[in-house]
Amino acid sequence: MYGWIWRHLPGNTWIRALLSAVLVLGVIYLLFQYVFPWAEPLLPFNDVTVDEGMGAVRGVTGAAL
Amino acid sequence: MSVRVLVRTFSELCVTVGTLIVLFVAYVLFWTGVKADGAMDSQIDQLQSQWAQGSVPAGGGASGGSSDGSSSGSSGGAQPEDRPDQKPPPEADQGDSAEAPPAPPAYQDGKPFAVMYIPRFGFTWNKPVLEGTKTDTLKKGLGHYASTAQLGQRGNFSVAGHRRTYGDPFKDFPKLRAGDAVVLTDGSTWFTYRIADKPYKTLPSDVEVIDPVPRKSGFDGPGRYLTLTTCEPEWGHSHRLIVWAHLDATQPVEEGKPEALRG
Repeated sequence: MYGWIWRHLPGNTWIRALLSAVLVLGVIYLLFQYVFPWAEPLLPFNDVTVDEGMGAVRGVTGAAL
Repeated sequence: MSVRVLVRTFSELCVTVGTLIVLFVAYVLFWTGVKADGAMDSQIDQLQSQWAQGSVPAGGGASGGSSDGSSSGSSGGAQPEDRPDQKPPPEADQGDSAEAPPAPPAYQDGKPFAVMYIPRFGFTWNKPVLEGTKTDTLKKGLGHYASTAQLGQRGNFSVAGHRRTYGDPFKDFPKLRAGDAVVLTDGSTWFTYRIADKPYKTLPSDVEVIDPVPRKSGFDGPGRYLTLTTCEPEWGHSHRLIVWAHLDATQPVEEGKPEALRG
């Protein structure tokens, strides 16, 4: 996989190294900006309230569901 | 040949997944804190520039008092507040040690309205309090349960905060003890709450802890209370830690910082 990318990058070794670094940084940026913020709420550290949205809970109770 | 390709691809996958996990841990432990610190600072800046411009919520005593006063005769503060727009009457003052501050206007969802100081967490510890407890709101500061009383009002002003990640605002929560001060300001008044007892561990479904008079807190009548909630254990979500406090003193900001912050 990585060998394939390396072989398909243009230029000599230095340019390829530079392009690889840019690719790696780009991937890290995408991860930190989009993927991790999406994945992080799936972990339990966000559960700090006692009601998980009490309005919703009480709304459901009020509607006699 | 094909075995070689298989093994190589599998190894590369393992290395990739490992790198991803390390990056994700770095994100959760470190980057959320960096982002949250920036967001909390900007929330506090936003509040302070609002207060500097003079749009302080306090002046609304006349309008807030008169509109709320109409309902005060019937039920008083003992009634649980299900709707955020139903405020406890500000002038109902039976047997209350603290003087009644005027009712501030309704808070806007997701917007900061106060700054909290807890000397036990360090004298530089201060966090913005935002309206609502949505996930996105809690990334920018502490969250006020929208269904509970407003700051300094009769009822239970309840606030949730992260114990870990997003700046670790309530990291030292278990160190809180009876008598510790929780100081808040809304730009016009300092509110000093005193914690009643050491943290109480409960289940996430225990919504009674933010009732106007929380049954297990030891408070035995209507009053001006404060509840803080966070997660327990530190990195888990099976339980919650709670502390309760009562309003001990208020003073206008013109009189300077309250006793508890002068340390």
